[in-house]
Amino acid sequence: METLGIFSDVDTAARGVDSLVKAGFSEEHITSLSSVPYPDGVLVRTDQRTWFRWLAVAGGSVGAVAGFLLAAGTAWLYPVQTGDKPIIAFYPTGIIIYELTMLFAIVSVIVGMFLEMRLPPWGKPPYDPAIAEGYIGISVFVLSGDQRNRAEEIMKRAGALRTTAEEML
Amino acid sequence: MSELSGKPLRTTHTAMKSATQLNDEMLSSMRAPTWRWYLLAFVLGAVVAWGMYAFTYQMMTGMSVTGKNRPVMWGFYITGFVFWVGLSHSGTMVSAILRLSQANWRRPILRAAEAMTVFTISIAALFPFIHLGRNWVVFYFLPFPNQRGLWPNFRSALLWDITAITAYLIGSSLFLYLGMIPDLAIARDRASGWRRKLYEVLAMGWRGTAREWVVYHKASTLMAALIIPVAVSVHSIVAWDFAVTVVPGWHSTIFPPYFVIGAILSGVAAVITLMIVIRRVFHLEDYLTPLHFDNMGKLLLVISLLWAYAYFVEVNITWYAHEPIEWEVFSFMSDKYAPLLLLMLVGNAVLPITVLCFKKLRRSIGVMLAVSLLINVCMFIERFLIIVPSLSRKNMPFIWHNYAPSWVEISVNIAAVAGFALLYTFFAKYFPIVAVTDVRELEVRQVRMPFGRAELPSIAGKE
Repeated sequence: METLGIFSDVDTAARGVDSLVKAGFSEEHITSLSSVPYPDGVLVRTDQRTWFRWLAVAGGSVGAVAGFLLAAGTAWLYPVQTGDKPIIAFYPTGIIIYELTMLFAIVSVIVGMFLEMRLPPWGKPPYDPAIAEGYIGISVFVLSGDQRNRAEEIMKRAGALRTTAEEML
Repeated sequence: MSELSGKPLRTTHTAMKSATQLNDEMLSSMRAPTWRWYLLAFVLGAVVAWGMYAFTYQMMTGMSVTGKNRPVMWGFYITGFVFWVGLSHSGTMVSAILRLSQANWRRPILRAAEAMTVFTISIAALFPFIHLGRNWVVFYFLPFPNQRGLWPNFRSALLWDITAITAYLIGSSLFLYLGMIPDLAIARDRASGWRRKLYEVLAMGWRGTAREWVVYHKASTLMAALIIPVAVSVHSIVAWDFAVTVVPGWHSTIFPPYFVIGAILSGVAAVITLMIVIRRVFHLEDYLTPLHFDNMGKLLLVISLLWAYAYFVEVNITWYAHEPIEWEVFSFMSDKYAPLLLLMLVGNAVLPITVLCFKKLRRSIGVMLAVSLLINVCMFIERFLIIVPSLSRKNMPFIWHNYAPSWVEISVNIAAVAGFALLYTFFAKYFPIVAVTDVRELEVRQVRMPFGRAELPSIAGKE
């Protein structure tokens, strides 16, 4: 369950985060919502490690195999004997392998990115369209109604204009 | 904005006001279409319809309606193909290089450049299809046996082309989409009706959480790093279409880098042209400033110098070796096509190199428009001069023949320009044409710091 507080600027939003942390909320469970990125630590600290690049590597490897099967496989299935040249030509096969490796890697980056971002979301996490206009959202993951009320009160005291909460499906 | 209505905001707050203002200004191209927009779309659509008529006529009548004949079997269509592939080269590549080098002035240019790539490569991909004839059996290219039991032969450079262009088209479309995700979320939050539904789907539920931004930035960097080698490979492969043959004038080891340089030259020039048009039409003077044209001008200057060097090396070796058939091709070109050759050299090298050396001229929008347009006209000529003279004077003198494009080929090429403009016009109307979040990110991070007696801009945090 997430609860979201909307702040008018970075300073009050940062104050809101500090108040939440001081009140015992774990920083891991707090995140910021903004229409522009802020350097790490300005609002919250986020884990900078990502795994989706390994998916890109895996995608590229699958692409290399697909490229080989496409170029070499069609040559095997329909052999064209030209003089004493090999059925599977090294140069064209290399080109097709290269292109498909890159293509699959690129597609994997996008797929992996969305998977790691967990987008599109399953439920309907709280959001406020004012974020697009420069407002800052501070979202806290809470486990109970009591916790939610406490988080909302802390954020309002810190300067939140409004708070919204919605249960994740 | 009819469908993009602004939300009620506390306008007393300076930062808030400026964010809304920035959004309003940068999304101004998405306002409800005016009669001028409809008129432009109609005119461009009419030209495209004329081109489609010409193509249909060619399909119904046969390839004899073109100027192609033995030995010149590649004419205006392949010229158009190479030209459009070249144009596609720079959009994504310039954007990717500037992204990787963290050049802050890149921000307002990115979207225009990336969109250009997607539409130019789409147009380019049509030309081989138009050129081939018997278009109803185009599925012969697909990797499965056709009704005669034949498989496509990957030894053919044309299949390398198809693979590379498909990879580049998908890659650059995803690169464009990736860059647009946060902007689509902003458009979603400001739109209503069917547009809101469209942006909702495309934004994939983006909220701009800190974690989303971390992953997004890493994905953008990785995509930029991956797309550059694909872009280079595409034009290298187009160059191999020529270089792997034994046609005099084509069989040259310098062709791939020479083509890549030429592609970047025409692509950068096209980005500049589009920047000028977008700036004027959507009143984006505050975002596309003379500084951007100055920097793009420097880039163009360097690439123009490189192109001149590559062309000099190409011709110099031909002249020094004086291999009879190679020299015959060059003599034929410099004799029959002398005005075009001179125009090409002036437009691609002499004039840009001279003009772009001067800061005042680089910052002049009129001069930059003239130079960028001239470069692209001359790059089309360059493609023509690579293709046609070599085929006209191949190894067997008894079939030497001159080529002139027919009205069908000219119509299709003009329709391609109109088609590109039409696609771009639609894109600018329905999607953010300026990278809103990229520009706003810089605005948010930029502060003026006292430094000695002066106050200088400083950018907070590393990118």
